[in-house]
Amino acid sequence: MTSTPVLERPASPEGRRPRRVRRTTPRSTLTRGAGLGLGIAMLWFSILVLLPLSAVVAAAAEGGWGRYLSVLQNDQTWAAVTLTVSQAVLVTLVNVVVGTVIAWVLVRDRFWGKRALDVVIDVPFALPTIVAGLVLLSLYGPNSPLGLHWAFTPNAVTLALAFVTLPFIVRTVQPVLEELETDVEEAAASLGAKRSTIFRRIILPSLVPAITAGAALSFARAISEYGSLVLLSGNKPYETEVVSVRVLTFIENGNTASAAALASVMLAIALVVIVLLDVLQRRVSRRG
Amino acid sequence: MSIEVSGLTKKFGDFVALDDVSVSLPTGQLTALLGPSGGGKSTLLRIIAGLDTADSGTVSIEGVDATGLPAQKRNVGFVFQHYAVFKHMTVAKNVAFGLEIRKRPKAEIAHRVEELLELVHLSQFSHRLPSQLSGGQRQRMALARALAVEPSVLLLDEPFGALDAKVRKELRDWLRRLHDEVHVTTVFVTHDQEEALEVADEIVVINEGRVEQVGSPDQLYDEPANDFVMGFLGEVTTLGGVVLRPHDIEVALQPGLAGAVRGTVTRVLRVGFEVRVTVRTGDGDPTAVSAQASPETTVVLTRTHARQLGLDAGTQVWLTPASGATTVSSMAPAGRRAAVTSGV
Repeated sequence: MTSTPVLERPASPEGRRPRRVRRTTPRSTLTRGAGLGLGIAMLWFSILVLLPLSAVVAAAAEGGWGRYLSVLQNDQTWAAVTLTVSQAVLVTLVNVVVGTVIAWVLVRDRFWGKRALDVVIDVPFALPTIVAGLVLLSLYGPNSPLGLHWAFTPNAVTLALAFVTLPFIVRTVQPVLEELETDVEEAAASLGAKRSTIFRRIILPSLVPAITAGAALSFARAISEYGSLVLLSGNKPYETEVVSVRVLTFIENGNTASAAALASVMLAIALVVIVLLDVLQRRVSRRG
Repeated sequence: MSIEVSGLTKKFGDFVALDDVSVSLPTGQLTALLGPSGGGKSTLLRIIAGLDTADSGTVSIEGVDATGLPAQKRNVGFVFQHYAVFKHMTVAKNVAFGLEIRKRPKAEIAHRVEELLELVHLSQFSHRLPSQLSGGQRQRMALARALAVEPSVLLLDEPFGALDAKVRKELRDWLRRLHDEVHVTTVFVTHDQEEALEVADEIVVINEGRVEQVGSPDQLYDEPANDFVMGFLGEVTTLGGVVLRPHDIEVALQPGLAGAVRGTVTRVLRVGFEVRVTVRTGDGDPTAVSAQASPETTVVLTRTHARQLGLDAGTQVWLTPASGATTVSSMAPAGRRAAVTSGV
């Protein structure tokens, strides 16, 4: 059998060598001060984030895999999960395009009212989300002056999520775009590249890390949104009910175990998406 | 003539960067645009490349009117002071960029890139990212990238300006040798007269948006058109009403030659192999109150010569312009456009 030597190879000395090399590198470069800083950072991070998260996961895990399955197999919960995730993805994709365009306009173009627009971009971020819901309801609700009766439909979810996540990509891309040196674009132009080629091959690769960072923020915000949706979407089961509303319902009914299970599922989804975006960013920025 | 520029004017608001500039740059030569910062030389280069547009005037490259052509269509290689590397691409990809744009076959691109990296001595770095290179290496890569598309002219904007003195000197020699190998018409901008004198076949001196003089390094140094060119190409000092170079003055301890100017040494400063001697000329008594207003002349001697003469502060000397020295009258109004006399 030819496969035998292949299977044995990891046990041979050649196979072990990389591990030994890794061990000889210094374990850490921390000085006393830096160690103290790391200690404080970890303590703070643990109290605020790690402990509560593990508490949720632990509470959810008490019921074992069966609990997760039964929660996810509930049709209403599953509908909420798919709605939340698909809307978050949709809105993030829209933001990737629109956010980059807005950042471009704010950095590269000169026009009247540019400063004002630059300030107004942050409004959706600064408004209490319930107010955001109210604002959107007045424009797209039953008394819509535009004749768009989107309240209490899935469109309302898209609208509300797009509203609250708008600034993320604009604000991550803008500083990077400002730092880009124009001589790089001029160099590409003198080598014969058209505007579109310069954008695709020179500018975009430099923006990808910022765009993915903004996309991660935007997606994370979208799957966790609650305030702006409560008013606008009507929380109709199977139609406009999102996960955060579903979790609240579980808690109100005293079913904290199911709430914890659903919460940890969303945690896993958020982690997966953030890791995927990071991988994507490394791929694209390395390709060139 | 490879590049023909005529009547170029460019204003940035109230600031006149170029004022009716006309100049012809010869084919196959290495030309320096030399002048002080803000004199308009970079603007001229950028207009030739199509990266800026002139308010009026025309540019033609190799007989083709390029005035209205965008940068993409001028077939000009441009090298920037701060390298303008494509950060996310490897060295090889950077060099290949222009060829990929032109949709050349893969094998041809690979071959050409290899050739160019060989030329700029970066073969072993082809898979590195620009951030892993030193400044000098980055600029050599930028040069290879510009040469890859076989440009009809190569334009370099202060190419060594961001490098430290030693690397700058190395790259300068290297550029000269490279040009002798490649023979592409090359124009580079510099404010460093030593760089221009050492590297260029021809120098165009530009100041305040105007061309002051065009000529070979020797012509410019020996027959400067005016005191600006004279002053910009090297150190100058005044002696008895003429402007001349400090090393073109003969120092004697006795009043031998006719027309020698008497003076007293006030300061002797040694810099490496040379000695700078400051001499207070004008009449007699160095301790007189009027001495402050009396003119000073700087003389540069070699260490050996100064030691022979035994110069020290207080020594009485007689100064004469050396025979064959380039001098410009310092009496010219406002110091511009002075008459030139060569030899004494």
